[in-house]
Amino acid sequence: MRISKGALLVVLAFTVPLIVELRTVLVWVNIDLSVLESAALGLVIVGLVVVWAFLPEREDDRQERDDDQTDGDVPNGN
Amino acid sequence: MTQSTESDQSDQIREIGHDEYDPVGTLALIGLYFLILVLLWFFMYFVEFLGNEPTVTGLLLSVVGLA
Amino acid sequence: MAKPTEVRTMSEAGSTYIDAFPAEAKVVRAAFYSSFLALAIGGLFGVVQTLHRTDVYRFMDSADYYTVLTAHGVLLAITFTIFFLVGVFTWAITTSLDRGVEDIRFTWAWYGLMVLGTALVAIPIFAGFTDSIDMSASVLFTFYAPLQAHPLFYLGLVLFVVGTWLAGVDWFRSWLAWKAENPDERIPLPTFMVLTTTLMWYIATLGVAIAILAFLLPWSLGLIDSVNPLLTRTLFWFFGHPVVYFWLMPAYMMWYIMLPKVSGGKLFSDPLARVVFVLFLILSVPTGIHHQYLDPGIAEGFKFIAMTNTMFLLLPSLLTAFTVVASMEHGARQRGGEGYFGWLKALPWRDPVFTGMALAGLMFAAAGFSGMINAGMNINYLVHNTFWVVGHFHLTVGTAVALTFMAVTYWFLPQVTGRALWNRSVALVQVVLWFVGMTFMSNAMHRAGLLGVPRRTAEPQYDGFEFEAAVGSVGELNAQIALGGILLTLSLALFFANVVGTAFNGKSDSLPANGYAETLSGSEDAPLVLDNLKLWTAIAVVLVIFAYTFPILSIVDRGGLFGPDVNPFPVSLDTLPVLGLVLEQYVTTALATAGELTGSIVTEVTP
Repeated sequence: MRISKGALLVVLAFTVPLIVELRTVLVWVNIDLSVLESAALGLVIVGLVVVWAFLPEREDDRQERDDDQTDGDVPNGN
Repeated sequence: MTQSTESDQSDQIREIGHDEYDPVGTLALIGLYFLILVLLWFFMYFVEFLGNEPTVTGLLLSVVGLA
Repeated sequence: MAKPTEVRTMSEAGSTYIDAFPAEAKVVRAAFYSSFLALAIGGLFGVVQTLHRTDVYRFMDSADYYTVLTAHGVLLAITFTIFFLVGVFTWAITTSLDRGVEDIRFTWAWYGLMVLGTALVAIPIFAGFTDSIDMSASVLFTFYAPLQAHPLFYLGLVLFVVGTWLAGVDWFRSWLAWKAENPDERIPLPTFMVLTTTLMWYIATLGVAIAILAFLLPWSLGLIDSVNPLLTRTLFWFFGHPVVYFWLMPAYMMWYIMLPKVSGGKLFSDPLARVVFVLFLILSVPTGIHHQYLDPGIAEGFKFIAMTNTMFLLLPSLLTAFTVVASMEHGARQRGGEGYFGWLKALPWRDPVFTGMALAGLMFAAAGFSGMINAGMNINYLVHNTFWVVGHFHLTVGTAVALTFMAVTYWFLPQVTGRALWNRSVALVQVVLWFVGMTFMSNAMHRAGLLGVPRRTAEPQYDGFEFEAAVGSVGELNAQIALGGILLTLSLALFFANVVGTAFNGKSDSLPANGYAETLSGSEDAPLVLDNLKLWTAIAVVLVIFAYTFPILSIVDRGGLFGPDVNPFPVSLDTLPVLGLVLEQYVTTALATAGELTGSIVTEVTP
């Protein structure tokens, strides 16, 4: 994991307003997307974020992340 | 089932005091916010004024508003 | 200086709030549960409205929409928020002064008065749904005359507000007793925040108290024949704007004293926090007229003064943005965060208390922009009374405040019940879902407002006229609003599942201790003058006198203390045709007047 699962959830939530308004922004550069196209583009972006988050970490990052295990991967105990 | 909703002290790996702490991240984030505000302000000018017909305000409208 | 600030010790080290203050914990818990009940009913009415006005699903008569809207506004903006904050303030006073309330019977008395007030307000509102009871209060949260409610509605509001006044007395009593024992100590920060907020509230509620007791209640009882609607409106907004700070300041308090702690750091600056609360005390009240930019009968100059004060109010909010982010960053760096933006990854995003408050703060940053639009006199004309405003306050009170309150509930519930939180993962999903739902709903409301879609309208669909969206369509905006409303309702359901689940959870011995964040720069760095509450109150009163004396005098001068003869409109189903006739008459008269005026202008202009 590149980021913790909690952080991934927040990143995904944060992409929602960007995706919703991306269509408006694109109109300014004369690209008209339909609702379906815009939803599909949103899914692609979300997919990319998820894939990126699950990529194995670089070695130099691992050192510090090991100290931070409780942040993301704590079993929730339910 | 015991779940602590509080951040564990064990998460803390170092102690940063008043003098060592340099909040550059805050500067970066707040700077970004101001940049967004400025951009939105410009955006508002285009959306609100250039995009619309002249808005009638003044005597006539306020009298109708009274009703 | 890198000296450590004092360690906050509770009555018993490592104990929860209910261990240290069992009697007070019961009151706080009762206040929380009261606020959650209001949240549940008000939230349900919220989704009913989104589905109705977007024409996605209509099951009630459109006339009932306004009763639903009134209940939604009053239950959420007044009952939910204020019950929750009196609980938080009582917690803050007892925890930070480390002493119980002076007399627990008094504490129960003001809580009881608030409950009684709420019940009296709720009866006429809910009676508005049925014709069998001759009672209604479908006057919306703002209860503008000539809309008239049943006297019980006004009476209930008065009792509720008096309850909050007595709560303030309770907090001041605790502080004075503490001060007598600790004459040389600084006011602890949470207590300072409670006291400044309470003082602001005392000044602010004078407006609504006069509006109700001198005008609206006697008018509703038939003791006086008419009121001056502009006067009661102005008195309402005298209270109506600062009331938003009454909601917001407890949320700020949570950002200052809880967020740094859950981030794993310390509050960046105690003096800055004090400055912010002093600024709110001074500037909150003399701004109300900015809600009346389009009210005829108030001179532009007075509106300009209100605008200036409002713009000054941005200052404490921007100071807060800096201090709170800096405190979070401190926590992140202590947890190993690095870089300009990389530290964000080191924050405890897994913790619903943290994530909820952080997302609430983020939404508030967005609301800051729409707030600046509202505050600007000329730009306000473009969005006044449109759906934009509804979008704005769903970001502020509906997210910055409500989401913060829900997030800290996950910390407070174990403290006041002694039971572990039912499910942390559900809590995390709940706060994130609220953010996503509000993104859809509020964003679409803002955009609909830009197209001119009105607020407070059951059916904003018109024959022979269509709102035109620059991008997409009004139908899409409506779909986003309905989708957002549904997501928010789901989020509420998860929240209540957690509240109920926790209430039925077993007692736990391994709960975190009661307490709040320590500071990097403590109260010893704050100038003593900041604690001079009398000085700040005096300045606040002077500013209010400056901002309001002349507008109110001129309103009374022009319209009379009890106004021109205005017919009351108790809105219920059988009076609607009458209302329609009266409105029609008014509009015809107004149009005729407008026509005459235009005619006279034209004759004046043409030589």
